[in-house]
Amino acid sequence: MAEETVSRRDFIKATGAGALATGIGANIIIPGRAHAAKKTLKILNWVHFVPPYDEWFNKKYTKEWGEKNDTEVIVDNIGVAGVNPRAAAEVSAQKGHDLFLFNWPPPAFEEQTVDLKDVYQEVERKVGKPIELAVKSTYNPKTKKYYAFSPSFTPDPVNYRQDLFSQVGLPNGPRTWEEVRTAGAKIKKQFGNPVGIGLANEIDTGMAMRTIMYAFGAHEQDAAGNLTLNSKETLEAIKFVKALYGETMTAEVFTWDASSNNRAMLAGKCSLALNAISITRTAEKDNPDISRKIQLTKALRGPVRAIGLEHVMQCYAVWKFAENIDGAKKFLIDYTTDFRQAFVAGEYYDFPCFPKTVPDLKKLIANDPKAHPADKYKVLEDVLDWATNVGYPGYATAAVDEIFSTWVLNVMFAKAASGAVSPEDALKEADAAAKRIFGKWKEKGLI
Amino acid sequence: MGTLEREAVVVTGARRGRFSFLVDREEWLGPLMIGPAVLYIVLVVGFPFFLALFYSVSSVTAGSRTLEFVGLKNFIGVVGTTKFQTSLKNTFIFAFVSQAVVIVLATVLALALLKDFKGKWVVRFLILLPWVAPISLGTIGWLWILDSIYSVINWTLEALGLISPETWPMWLGIPHLAMGSVITVHVWRLLPLATVILLGGLSSIPADIHDAAAVDGASFWRHLFQITMPLVRPIMLVALLFGLVFAFTDMIVIFVLTRGGPYDTTQVLASLAFFTGIQGGDLAEGAAIALFLFPLLLAAAIVFLRIARRAEVT
Repeated sequence: MAEETVSRRDFIKATGAGALATGIGANIIIPGRAHAAKKTLKILNWVHFVPPYDEWFNKKYTKEWGEKNDTEVIVDNIGVAGVNPRAAAEVSAQKGHDLFLFNWPPPAFEEQTVDLKDVYQEVERKVGKPIELAVKSTYNPKTKKYYAFSPSFTPDPVNYRQDLFSQVGLPNGPRTWEEVRTAGAKIKKQFGNPVGIGLANEIDTGMAMRTIMYAFGAHEQDAAGNLTLNSKETLEAIKFVKALYGETMTAEVFTWDASSNNRAMLAGKCSLALNAISITRTAEKDNPDISRKIQLTKALRGPVRAIGLEHVMQCYAVWKFAENIDGAKKFLIDYTTDFRQAFVAGEYYDFPCFPKTVPDLKKLIANDPKAHPADKYKVLEDVLDWATNVGYPGYATAAVDEIFSTWVLNVMFAKAASGAVSPEDALKEADAAAKRIFGKWKEKGLI
Repeated sequence: MGTLEREAVVVTGARRGRFSFLVDREEWLGPLMIGPAVLYIVLVVGFPFFLALFYSVSSVTAGSRTLEFVGLKNFIGVVGTTKFQTSLKNTFIFAFVSQAVVIVLATVLALALLKDFKGKWVVRFLILLPWVAPISLGTIGWLWILDSIYSVINWTLEALGLISPETWPMWLGIPHLAMGSVITVHVWRLLPLATVILLGGLSSIPADIHDAAAVDGASFWRHLFQITMPLVRPIMLVALLFGLVFAFTDMIVIFVLTRGGPYDTTQVLASLAFFTGIQGGDLAEGAAIALFLFPLLLAAAIVFLRIARRAEVT
């Protein structure tokens, strides 16, 4: 009977070999099982305004990254209008993508996102500091949390018709908001082309109105996050927009959606618009004649400063319930470190939030073979210095976001411009709405 | 009993076997047949509805799953705001005007479609088309029709020399034109449903009543107001109820065409709820806005259905 006993060593050997055989065997016999062991990274991106970017990101970059990191990368693209509803649905279901791209700061989702401080630190260690715009769009100073990570943003330069502005004495386009008003009025009178700055319930209007406000020294909040909308500077900005509308625009700006200014410029109808370079990129492909006429200029100077907003703020969030948090962070670090590829693939639509990732940015944009002329985009070389965030000089908080998303300021400017109410009443109404929104989010502890 | 009949009885008897008690007993069969529908309504309508009710008295946000009970605070907080009051007023204008137009046009159409004429099926098909087409697609079509740059209406009017490029009507940019436009598109969308409902009601009126009135020399208007309308009233109230509920709770037309603009003059409660709850992140207040009219709609539904029942012709 002694021969039949099994020693502890034999037992471990036998079971170990068995376990090994089971594991390997199963993987040999069932390839799907071996495949299942591979990690998965699910990314939600928007449908990029520059289609070649999606081609590069979906079919090249993520595939190569996946091979290097033994990960199957799945990219889903949705239209920009679906981003917030989708995010709310994923939070509600506690299931979804590992990396979720918002095109604006998502402070209201803070409780559901992983703190990405370590990602910022690692990218900073590799490629240097981020610009302030990135931090202010993804960090909550109250909770001291990086609720998202921003690898890039889209500048919002002034697009103007050089042929028209030349004829009123401004061949290089306007430099100040006052010049937009005076020259715009002359152009409208002489040639019938109005200025095309939206006054509707849509994103571009929200950006443009804040650009004017900030240039006039008016803000929704101060640097510490206190509501400061009700000021004489805001009133001046409203009065200016009312005059600008009356002298240079038509009622069509009340009808616009986010792409209307693109269409109006491309149709040759408007003399000036604030937008990303999507107008000029589309013109280069579809209408070279108009492409030669539309040029870009930097942020316009108001009574206080020259400042522009980001047009799109790429903010990646990692949900707390994401299945591959480590993979998502690793992807963010690698993607941002390699951002030059994205910059080129996106045809310079997205600018880096970590400037050193595209060391030859100035050289690239100064000589673009597609542009008319080749140095059309050179004006953007110092955009990192004059582009700021929604909520300037403070952070993009949940209250600022709700004011933006419920069009409080858009309505304030539009009502006053149309003459529906006086500038004073429009401001009073908007201030009351803003106070209530700030109060709500303070109670919720996010500001 | 013939051979075939006997075989049929045998086969039926064999098939009935296990479930025959269900077929034979009404108290089981009824609930079984209606069960899937009830389950569907509970899951797709009931659950979200009660969830929304719960949200409206909580502090939930789009990014938070912590639900703190706050009572009626969300309702009280939002009611005093200009945005809400404007949206409430717009909701009533949008709903009542669109439904008044829908009922008048649907009655005319239904009366016309009751007659026999050549190409009737084509007309019926065209009238039904807006109902079967996805509403978002149809509304995007309208967006182009009413566009500030490419409006086909404006192009046509200009080509006919009726307007100049300087006087193009901005259909979605002037408050009354914008409200008129969203109401028009909503009418276009709901007209088929109301027409079909009314057509059903008109078809059920016994012909001999009209024949008798005709013998007595009744005119078209007498037929319409003293026979047709009273008899069709119950079904018309159902159409009106459906239409009002749609108009009070739907936001697609407004979201696609104006997003509440110009300067909130077409903002309705449903669209405001979306912007506040989903875009703005305050789910609780969004739910409160969305549910604000629920008691009123419920009361209206009860009243309408009672009137309809009382007026039913048996």
